[in-house]
Amino acid sequence: MFITLLREWIATPLTHSRLFQQFTQQDFHAQFAASIGGFLWLFLTPIVHILIYSFVFGYIFQIRAPAEFGQTRFVIFMMIGYLPWFAFAEAMGRSTNLLLEKAPLITKVMFPVQLLPLTGTLIPYLTHGTGFVMLLIYLASQGLLSAGWLLLPVVFFFQFLFTLGIVAVLSATCVFLRDLQQLVALGVTIWFFLTPIIYPITMIQNPTIRQWFLLNPMHNFINLYREIVLLGEVSAINLQIIIPVSVISYCLGGWLFIRIRHAFGDVL
Amino acid sequence: MKKTVPIIKVANLHKDFRIYARPQDRLWEILLRRPRHQLYHVLRDISFAVPEGKSLGIIGVNGAGKSTLLKLLAGILQPTVGEIAVSGQVAALLELGAGFHPEFSGRRNIYLNASLLGVPDDDIATLEQEIIAFSELGEFIDRPVKTYSSGMYVRLAFAIATMVRPDILVIDEALSVGDMAFQRKCVQRMNQFRAELKTMVFCSHSMFHIQELCDTAIWIHMGRIREIGDSDQVVGHYEDFCYSKKTYNSIEQDLPRTQLQESEVGKNSDDAMPTMPDCRISALSVCDSDGHAVTELEPLGSVRLEMEVEVLKDGIEGNFGFAFMKSAEEPIASFLTTELAESEVEKGPFQVGDVFTVSLAVQHLAMRVGEFYVLGGLADKSGLLWYETRFSKQLSIKPNKGVGTLIMESEWSVQRK
Repeated sequence: MFITLLREWIATPLTHSRLFQQFTQQDFHAQFAASIGGFLWLFLTPIVHILIYSFVFGYIFQIRAPAEFGQTRFVIFMMIGYLPWFAFAEAMGRSTNLLLEKAPLITKVMFPVQLLPLTGTLIPYLTHGTGFVMLLIYLASQGLLSAGWLLLPVVFFFQFLFTLGIVAVLSATCVFLRDLQQLVALGVTIWFFLTPIIYPITMIQNPTIRQWFLLNPMHNFINLYREIVLLGEVSAINLQIIIPVSVISYCLGGWLFIRIRHAFGDVL
Repeated sequence: MKKTVPIIKVANLHKDFRIYARPQDRLWEILLRRPRHQLYHVLRDISFAVPEGKSLGIIGVNGAGKSTLLKLLAGILQPTVGEIAVSGQVAALLELGAGFHPEFSGRRNIYLNASLLGVPDDDIATLEQEIIAFSELGEFIDRPVKTYSSGMYVRLAFAIATMVRPDILVIDEALSVGDMAFQRKCVQRMNQFRAELKTMVFCSHSMFHIQELCDTAIWIHMGRIREIGDSDQVVGHYEDFCYSKKTYNSIEQDLPRTQLQESEVGKNSDDAMPTMPDCRISALSVCDSDGHAVTELEPLGSVRLEMEVEVLKDGIEGNFGFAFMKSAEEPIASFLTTELAESEVEKGPFQVGDVFTVSLAVQHLAMRVGEFYVLGGLADKSGLLWYETRFSKQLSIKPNKGVGTLIMESEWSVQRK
């Protein structure tokens, strides 16, 4: 079982690198080249969201970044969490349709289907990762750059693995249960508000409840980004949580996907 | 002689589809672990092996399960029961341009398709020109494939699938789209494929292509193998089946009805009249030119049809008839003495106790395929009232090359001007 997982799930992007590349290009093409706005549309949503949240929470509710982050403006504080979150949310949102929209291909051509969740996760991470990098460049120019930033790609990578595992499970399950499409959209919204992105976790008074937030991997990821970027330091507890959680998500998701992909041809 | 290893081996294959009345039933079934589906048996008990370098044709009426079998061979579907062992790289052309991206140019789709088939990148670059040349797309190769005609689509798809030189090529009905010139090219290409000892599995409604390209054919009927064997023979039986509305077996049910009178060969025999025991056919036989009884006839060969008649009443005058029958109600050809003068054939009167043999020599049998019967009959003077008819055993035509139901004597000549 382990060998199969290794070969079919982990090694496939390497053994079928050409096809992987083709799929990624195809996806990019579908998103950008087909419409006039192209790239603009992609960034419009996060930009509008950021503007709305800064207005509502920063201006109306007067939420401030917690004192430990010093004089950081709320917008910056929120964006550091929001941009990586948006990559995650978009990958989740697209996951339910990944296999369904490729049904003609899956039922007519034999190819490694497991490349599809990978591409589906990679695209939002690439595009919104770019947005995140642009923010980082701005912050670096503001003098926040530190050696700790070298950890950022590592954390981002683990977030990618974590997402990929969930996307694999969702995309495969959605072939059988199409109702999942609606549920996932709802779930992502709930998850968003349960993750301290537009509010600092310090606003939660009860320390027991605050402990429970550690169970939310996305909170751990976002806290890490904020600490690394704004303070140049890392909470060990967050790292200790995200590394095993990401690896388990990636492997378990892959295992499940490989197990049930044989049935795709029958159902699609 | 080199021993040929089966490159495709299918053993005891069954494939069921689960039909759910409502999509949510699938969910309930998973949750409650109680079956909520209806099983639909697409394929049952399929076993065959294809040796390396041989090609297999799959024929059958629509919905027989041909495409499902091809999908199973291509690995897209998994068998419910049974095993499929395929050794080697498979390229499957199951639907026209299924791997194409409509927005991309033909050239880009070559790369996309080839990578779907798992071809290394370096190889594609060298094959690219060859593929473009074969597909005859010319400048269209740089236009999006969504602008292509279906003929152009299939040309490109076929060119890619065959140029990447897989070990096994699985094709479903691909040739039916292209024009004749391209079909010819495809056949050449596939023959070249066979010459290179590659294996092909081919499904088509074009019996010509099956005979031309396949060594072996499988006839699938209602999800089961009805016949497997030499492609000429299987195609022959299949065509015969298609051209007759009735199945082979029905004649046995029809046989007792020969006791009824038939107003005329081929006419509906339902307007039954009481049998007149005036005379009877005591024997009916079909012989070759040497006088041996035969059941398998040579196409364009000669046969002698004979019946022995016993007269049971004085003064019988009558007519005789023979017919080749597909079934009790479907004649293929008929031979009657009603139009013949007394001088050409003796028509009586006969006396009680007379026993005589009526025989008819038939030359150049025109049936090319099929199983049929010979019907012998005795009629009254007018030729309208039939005393008795009798069927022979089932006869068939020896397997032979060609398509269509008929074969005709012919002579070729090519004259240079």
